Amino acid sequence: MSVARGSLYRTVQRTRNRGLTGLYLLVAALLVAYVSLFPGVLSLAGFSRFTQNWFPLALVTMAQALLMLNGGISLSIGPLVSLGAVIAATTMSGPLGVPGGIVLVAVTGLGVGAVFGTIVALFRLPAIIVTLAGSFIVGGVALLVLPKPGGMVPAWFSDALAGQYPTAFLLLLLVIVGWKVFMATPTGLGLYAAGDNPLGAFRSGVRVERVRIVAFALSGLLTVLAGLFVAAQTGSGDPVIGAPMTLNSIAGAVLGGVGFLGGRGTMRGALAGSLLLAAMINVMFFLGFPPVAQYVAQGLIIVAAVAVPELLSRRQRA
Amino acid sequence: MSAEPSMPLNEATVEARGVHRGFFGNPVLKGVDIALRPGRVHALLGENGAGKSTLINLLSGALLPHAGEVIVDGGSVSRFSPEAARRAGIAVVQQELSLVSELSIAENIGLGAYPRRFGLVDYGALAEGVEQVCRLVGIQENRGTPISALPLGRRQMVEIAKALFRRPRVLILDEPTSSLSAHEAGVLADLVLRLRDEGLAVLYISHRLNEVLALCSHVTVLKDGVVTADRSLAGVSPDELVRLMVGRDAEHLFPSWSPVAGKEIVRLEGFCAGSARDVSFHARRGEVVGVGGLVGQGQEDFLQGLYGAVAARAEAVSIAGSASLPKSVEAANALGIAYVPADRKRESLVLTHSIAINLALPSIGRLARGWSRSRHAEAELVSDLSARLAIKGDPARPVQALSGGNQQKVALAKWLPLKPAILLLNDPTRGVDLDTKREIYRMLRALAADGTLVVLMSSDTPELVHLCDRVYVFREGRVSGVLAHGTISEEAIVGAALGLPERKAA
Repeated sequence: MSVARGSLYRTVQRTRNRGLTGLYLLVAALLVAYVSLFPGVLSLAGFSRFTQNWFPLALVTMAQALLMLNGGISLSIGPLVSLGAVIAATTMSGPLGVPGGIVLVAVTGLGVGAVFGTIVALFRLPAIIVTLAGSFIVGGVALLVLPKPGGMVPAWFSDALAGQYPTAFLLLLLVIVGWKVFMATPTGLGLYAAGDNPLGAFRSGVRVERVRIVAFALSGLLTVLAGLFVAAQTGSGDPVIGAPMTLNSIAGAVLGGVGFLGGRGTMRGALAGSLLLAAMINVMFFLGFPPVAQYVAQGLIIVAAVAVPELLSRRQRA
Repeated sequence: MSAEPSMPLNEATVEARGVHRGFFGNPVLKGVDIALRPGRVHALLGENGAGKSTLINLLSGALLPHAGEVIVDGGSVSRFSPEAARRAGIAVVQQELSLVSELSIAENIGLGAYPRRFGLVDYGALAEGVEQVCRLVGIQENRGTPISALPLGRRQMVEIAKALFRRPRVLILDEPTSSLSAHEAGVLADLVLRLRDEGLAVLYISHRLNEVLALCSHVTVLKDGVVTADRSLAGVSPDELVRLMVGRDAEHLFPSWSPVAGKEIVRLEGFCAGSARDVSFHARRGEVVGVGGLVGQGQEDFLQGLYGAVAARAEAVSIAGSASLPKSVEAANALGIAYVPADRKRESLVLTHSIAINLALPSIGRLARGWSRSRHAEAELVSDLSARLAIKGDPARPVQALSGGNQQKVALAKWLPLKPAILLLNDPTRGVDLDTKREIYRMLRALAADGTLVVLMSSDTPELVHLCDRVYVFREGRVSGVLAHGTISEEAIVGAALGLPERKAA
């Protein structure tokens, strides 16, 4: 069967949905349940609020999935979110203003990511160790910048990002388009290749080290932008606000079917995973679960979500 | 060097002159010359460890020689690299595939050489280029299919298409047919000859001598890091070729044996496991029963179903004295069934651990006294097995330091102390050198003579012909032919594998 010119891209995109049907259905079911429990989410303000709660989680999940697809992982997502938040909160109301703050936050994320990536790629150290060490350093720097919660994000900027309009959702669409474009570049495909089969990718002419550094830099950028958004949401900076984000980002990616060994999974899956997680957290919050029960339930759901498709596929094979 | 008859020598596209290369002070190549010329298929033969892989790596820029030089188009290159080799038009199909499982066939073929438009991959141009090479190698699957959905043989063909996508002038094929079915190997053979006629220089490495004789016109033989022959293949017989490789008169590759009819140990009717469907199978102790056919026709599921590794059911069962199929690997082991997987590196050996541990692993529990391991009994077992199988070297070395053939011997040997009643083998000689093959064949027949039932699944047709009492040929999950002793021939096996009506062998 031959593929007519132009349709190859569509076929490839379609096949990337393989194995995600169950997840999509689950997310759809949860969203339906959510809407029937809280019909308010269908209003503009309700939709905006919901997507604002999802947005930072979506960004860090993408940041994590990006690295996991490349065969890495980051344990410094949380501290880097905090660093992004405190930089935003300390610079935006100062002489740099909002644009200067955004640039500084973005440069910090890219820079920190690139440094991690360079250490991992050139010194061939395990990403988990480098980012574990990095999490202490980045967390410490965040505390140096802003020792206790404070700083300020201009109110107009908070309103624009996290007010009653679904700016967050539009930004997310923008990020997704950006990812689509990135995945249509040789470097984007090289990200998968270097994650799944580094030696084969190297022999094929993929610049494995460069791809890895780019992955870490982009991941750092997405992470600090999540921090910037959180600062805008709360109107101030908090040097430890990102703490739960490290594990949540891994949870979202894993829920979305991204594998730990590199090259397995898709970004659309990771996004669906983060949506599932965000909706779950919201539902439990509004149903008045105590925080401890929330964590336990969250853990159980993650295990179930990973185990059920695996067991189903095993039954199919038998 | 004997001259090529009546053919002027074209200038070599790539050439190695007097190259030396060693690893950790251990010389592997000691002054090797080889010249790949356009329009010629050049065979590189040698046993495992002779230095073939190292030589390929030198010719493709993955390694640099310690002495001597690599010459491209008549000019010496000082800093050769994979990048420079690619620019010079040298493409290598390695034994270890360079494919990415989640990317599509097309994205894999283009990897590292994507056509671009505005910095993005130009999927339209990619589809066109991929279409051409896919036609050449006979890939019919949709180009958007992810690699993970393809069986191993098809992946190998994609790998070859990937090499051709770069329009190479030199194509190096390292054991390209080891995972191919007979049909795919035929497609590849036609392709190689066509590329030769188009003026490519092809270097062909294979342990299958009939392929080498059919395709190649020139041969370089490596033995222990030096060239022992560099000559035309015209008029060379397989026996001579074997002699060139092993450097002495080759005894027959296969041991002589006579059928021993033992007690029936397996009888299955309507057996289904994975893609194997409705298989009727019976076998006696003392037999070597072959399982053949194209790659991926359910043979592996058949073996794994017998081993309890894949869920299986059957209408009627009698296996090793049990009236039901083993439900698990443990149950199969308890019945005396052992399985040697094809992928020795992943499924059968603990690569970073020592030869000794790997050999002893299945026996540690049996040798233990109470809760404590018996080091003494283990050491005895290890030295006994090493001696019986001629596994050379210090058993304390990690298994990954061994050559492929010796690794396979370890993977096989570890089951012998359990004295399995049924030994299931999945392609035990894939990528194994001739000497080791001969040892493995002898061992299998010896095991059968001791009353073991050996079930040998193989993609190497000659070993089914010469080693087996009977051969079951699989096609699309079903048994398409059972060949009894005396009627087994390569033609009959390939015919049954392709679903041709039975015919008398020519």
